[in-house]
Amino acid sequence: MKTLIIIPAYNEQENIETVVENLKQNYSQYDYIIVNDGSKDHTAEICRKNKYHFIDLPVNLGLAGAFQAGLRYAYAYGYDMAIQYDGDGQHDAKYISSMIDAMQSGNYDIVIGSRFCDKKKPRTMRMLGNTMISFAIRLTTGKRINDPTAGMRLFNKRMIHLFSHNINYGPEPDTISYLLHCGANISEVQVEMHERVAGVSYLSMGKSIRYMLNMFISILFVQFFRPKEMI
Amino acid sequence: MSTVLRIILIIVAALNSLWIIMRIRKAQVKIEDSVFWFLFSIFLVFIGIFPSVVDWGAHLIGVQSSVNFIFLSIIFILILKLFRMSIRISQLESKLQTFVEIYALKHINPKECTENIEEKNSDK
Repeated sequence: MKTLIIIPAYNEQENIETVVENLKQNYSQYDYIIVNDGSKDHTAEICRKNKYHFIDLPVNLGLAGAFQAGLRYAYAYGYDMAIQYDGDGQHDAKYISSMIDAMQSGNYDIVIGSRFCDKKKPRTMRMLGNTMISFAIRLTTGKRINDPTAGMRLFNKRMIHLFSHNINYGPEPDTISYLLHCGANISEVQVEMHERVAGVSYLSMGKSIRYMLNMFISILFVQFFRPKEMI
Repeated sequence: MSTVLRIILIIVAALNSLWIIMRIRKAQVKIEDSVFWFLFSIFLVFIGIFPSVVDWGAHLIGVQSSVNFIFLSIIFILILKLFRMSIRISQLESKLQTFVEIYALKHINPKECTENIEEKNSDK
């Protein structure tokens, strides 16, 4: 099974080398592709200098666009599975194999690398949004997703096709919720995540409220009106 | 505030929501862009159901007719939306410009380029 690690990177000059070198040395059984999302720093130069595999987006598209570019690549080169993997060193590649095992044994469409599968969610402000989205998904689909905002997700071939060719299929919890409605098999596997090593996150504090509003309207309301994709 | 106006507000809100839902179904709009219109519809329904809030608001800023207060608030909301859209269009245009420039530079055919220069030189 051909597996592709998709690494969206926006201004990750401090982290990208560590992340990719780790993948190249210890996890060479998987292919990887960096998607440089119009970074303003030296991310592209670093990739070029080290001869990394990377797609260089000429303008910034945001996470959804960068990830979709990676999925288009996965689709074009016939990959069976693709995993969304952060370029900032938060994700640990040692869990990829257990996620792939879970996908193959359970015939799942999406496997989420969850922080709170076996472990309890800490009751902090940062996790409040996570809990609320999880509750909204439970309310509307009846399925339990413990860590809907986790950024490490494994997609099978069918999902690669779906995500790479459609509008409103961002790598976000509302898409997960919508796909549950459509009857997709989605599972979680326990993983650990590191604190980010350097640089700033995609999601700033100011955008968080807007993000939550989008997620809630999408999960609690809009998804009931979206045409059901046959999965 | 007349009952007819309240009913009109609620009908318009419903049509507005319905229209944007149709667009989502046809995959013509991003969900994040539809959020504003749903909130706007909720606002219209809210003032349709609770006109006393409008009366209170009108009294507060010294507008004689509650209806004028509704117009004023809707105009303000739409001005803000328009402002945000102007900024977004500007950003889109500059992104497109950057994209086209970079794309064109990356797709220069070196052979064509040198031929043109050679032609120029031979003209002299």
